[in-house]
Amino acid sequence: MNALYASRRRRDFSIRVLCYAATALGLIWLALILFSLFSNGVAGLSWDVFTKMTPPPGTTDGGLANAIFGSVAMTSLGVAIGAPLGMLAGVYLAEYGRYEKLSDVVRFINDILLSAPSIIIGLFVYMAVVKPTGGFSGYAGALALAVIVVPVVVRTTEDMLLLVPNTLREAASALGLPRSLVIKRIALRAARAGVITGVLLATARVAGETAPLLFTSLSNQFWSVNMGKAMANLPVTINAFVQSPYETWRQLAWTGALLITLAVLTLNIVARVLGAERTQK
Amino acid sequence: MTDVMTTDPLTSDALPPASAVDAKVSIKNLDFYYGESRALKDVNLKLEANRVTAFIGPSGCGKSTLLRVLNRMYDLYPGQRATGQVLLDGKNILDPGVDLNLLRARVGMVFQKPTPFPMTIYENIAFGVRLYEKISKSEMDGRVEAALKGAALWGEVKDKLDASGLSLSGGQQQRLCIARTVAIRPEVILFDEPCSALDPISTAKIEELIDELKSRYTIAIVTHNMQQAARVSDRTAFMYLGELIEFDDTPRMFTSPAQQRTQDYITGRFG
Repeated sequence: MNALYASRRRRDFSIRVLCYAATALGLIWLALILFSLFSNGVAGLSWDVFTKMTPPPGTTDGGLANAIFGSVAMTSLGVAIGAPLGMLAGVYLAEYGRYEKLSDVVRFINDILLSAPSIIIGLFVYMAVVKPTGGFSGYAGALALAVIVVPVVVRTTEDMLLLVPNTLREAASALGLPRSLVIKRIALRAARAGVITGVLLATARVAGETAPLLFTSLSNQFWSVNMGKAMANLPVTINAFVQSPYETWRQLAWTGALLITLAVLTLNIVARVLGAERTQK
Repeated sequence: MTDVMTTDPLTSDALPPASAVDAKVSIKNLDFYYGESRALKDVNLKLEANRVTAFIGPSGCGKSTLLRVLNRMYDLYPGQRATGQVLLDGKNILDPGVDLNLLRARVGMVFQKPTPFPMTIYENIAFGVRLYEKISKSEMDGRVEAALKGAALWGEVKDKLDASGLSLSGGQQQRLCIARTVAIRPEVILFDEPCSALDPISTAKIEELIDELKSRYTIAIVTHNMQQAARVSDRTAFMYLGELIEFDDTPRMFTSPAQQRTQDYITGRFG
């Protein structure tokens, strides 16, 4: 074995060790976070969490029912508003506007929006909606979440449509299909799993957003299904309770954090399964 | 007819000379541009009804480009344009007012790579038919069966019409694409290297099929395989660098071409 080869082997070995070490370092933090979430959160899990309201100041007994409902309601509405908008814009970028100059501009702006700090989006909706309408509301919260959903869905929809080979579009056009049907029945159908995955990932992303809700839906210690009024939600509740002096409140914060994490984990797994189905075909 | 049959042993299959027949498609002074670059140069050619016309030539000679003019597939992309005339039954399809979807319903196309749609075998065929006709379920069943039989695929898929079109083998997928094209009853069918991704057995099936289809359609086929051109076509066009070099009856093209470049190409001296 000559010296050059030996030194190359040593280099290979050390780089491999570095790669493993970096991976392990990343995973350790994730494992620690999950571990502390579970060990602290599971203790507080009981029916009370799902049936009782968040405790008012001065009391220690309570649950997260109103916050869970608020989170589900605002996340659902936010995705319901943001996902269709994002999909349509993604279709424009990948299909109708693929060769247009305007698409480059839209894509650039979308990328900025994608990485915009969510607190700025919260402030924007506060100035644009909360102040003019005179108060915090679930609608404003959902709108802020929708603003976060849009760029994520635009990006995934466009990327998934770009993966559909042009030969498929040509084949459909060759049958005399008008453009709208080529997109709706062929391209979107071929990209369906990927597009749905994108929507699920966007849902997971906004489910844990705190900053945009702080300025828009705020919170509410009572049960409320009225989205026109301030609405409780998990992230803001966690944010408030974790700083409280009461042990039970802090416990509720841990449990809420665990619930969000489990929901996000579930969405991610569903997205992965759908994605795997797509690649198998 | 008799004088044609006796004059020349090379046209012994009784084809009248190319100049004497009515053309389904007449291409006149056709130029084509990809942006600034000129890919077809003053092409003049006729495609006859119920005949197979083959286009041969080295890569980049413009034969696929020519095919994509005939159903205006190039219109999907910016910066591509054609000038001149392409008459389909006497009407210029390059006119700006032409309805592209109706044109493509009349001029079907089968591609190099099999492109089944991401849906069932049945739907792959019914889908196109539904665009143009409102027919009952039983009628549609009949149409699907006829199309699959017409593409020599029925026997292999009749028990799994609900399976995904993507589950078929490459050769079956290509025949499904042919069935899909035939099902909407076009008048002209364009084949763009339909066998280049297939094994010899599948290739033989497709060639047989093309031979059967020509009794009902006008067929144009682009191929890199000269034996294939010799086997399936009645007329052959040799193209080189965007020009139509020679166009004649297939037997004559492969035995005694008039042009030296044709001779060089078919004998494998270049290309």
